[in-house]
Amino acid sequence: MASVIVSFELSGRPVEVMVAPLTTLQSVLRNQLGFTSVKDGCRQGGCGSCTVLVDGEPMMSCLLPVEDIAGRRVTTLEALTPPEGLHPIQQAFMDNNGYQCGYCTPGMEMLTKALLDHNPHPTRDQIVDALAGNVCRCTGYRPIIAAIEAAAAAGSAEGAL
Amino acid sequence: MTVATYFRPTSVPEALGLLEEHGPELLVIAGGTIAMPLINEGISLPREVMGLRHAGLDTYERGASEVRIGATLSLTRLAEQNDVPLLRAAARRTASWSIRNMATVGGNLFAPPPAGDVATALLALDARVTLSGRHGERELPLTDFWTGFMTTAMAADELLIAITIPLRDESSAFIKFGRKEANTPAIVSVAVAGDRIALGAVDAHPIRARNAEAALAGKPRDEAAITAAAEAAADECEPFADALASEWYRRRMVRIFVERALHEQAAGMNGTEA
Repeated sequence: MASVIVSFELSGRPVEVMVAPLTTLQSVLRNQLGFTSVKDGCRQGGCGSCTVLVDGEPMMSCLLPVEDIAGRRVTTLEALTPPEGLHPIQQAFMDNNGYQCGYCTPGMEMLTKALLDHNPHPTRDQIVDALAGNVCRCTGYRPIIAAIEAAAAAGSAEGAL
Repeated sequence: MTVATYFRPTSVPEALGLLEEHGPELLVIAGGTIAMPLINEGISLPREVMGLRHAGLDTYERGASEVRIGATLSLTRLAEQNDVPLLRAAARRTASWSIRNMATVGGNLFAPPPAGDVATALLALDARVTLSGRHGERELPLTDFWTGFMTTAMAADELLIAITIPLRDESSAFIKFGRKEANTPAIVSVAVAGDRIALGAVDAHPIRARNAEAALAGKPRDEAAITAAAEAAADECEPFADALASEWYRRRMVRIFVERALHEQAAGMNGTEA
């Protein structure tokens, strides 16, 4: 098994990693690079807790061989979080109690980021539809939906998220 | 991780060369949404894997009379096209946004039931598949593609490279019935286009409900004909039991949802947001 070197852009910075063949992006981000917002949930693509953005589109990093995203732009929650305080999406989750244990929160927030980038004023149905692949086992979906509605409102107030 | 090599060909000839060189032991993946869960779980332990994500097959071409879809077009892009409403509906009802961004149209033809909603819609649309191998390309009607549960007519040295759909001015309907509204395997999927009816999740692979189609042939689409077709469909499928539903329940739901799909088709709903 020959290791391979893969380069990609992680939250605005070039990174280069050496991996065994078919290593997942999830494993590289969390275990090799210490980006612990990327959770190790089901590894089946069934829970959404490993959701990251690849060129702005949400993907399940647990199903994505890192070699496949060579040269592409990966964004995790670490990139959203400003040095001081919180990103408006994070603030909206905070204000609306959009989390309980918090395990699904990074995936939910990255999904929210992608949703609002695509559609700054989603209807409730569009929010629910977008969230279909992200599971909250505390089952706190109503506050999460409320948080996303609040984030959308904050976004339109401030111009952009 | 036991994988020795992950090949990432950038063209179909390169992919076919690797397939010839490494033989049937080479596991072919594209979006990874079927194979990667099994690999992550240690259920599948391939030595060599080939990924088609960069093989140039993520194409979509609308011609005058047909649409040709590259095998690795994402389900998100399929859900965005406006040429074939039935395919848009089926893609939209498959998995979740993040998964649709990764999963491919071609991969859906290899998804074991109860997965395969897009495959079911393609079957109702009279799709043809293009297989490419050492000896050139051949085209098969999708009706001849599946030979059993997770087996196909594709030879070990062939790759599925495209799916072609004739464009027809006909009404259609798609219904996926599952335990919940979204991101769920089907208990039954029904796709209706013109005078063709396809069923998913109720047999070893998506099937055409030929007896149901025969029950409708040459008859006015009245209540009696629709009921007869729905009953024929329930009789002719061979459902399985899984964690979602029993064989008995699936058969009952086939009758109900074929009936509903035929009504929706008659109402011209095109399955858009079923």
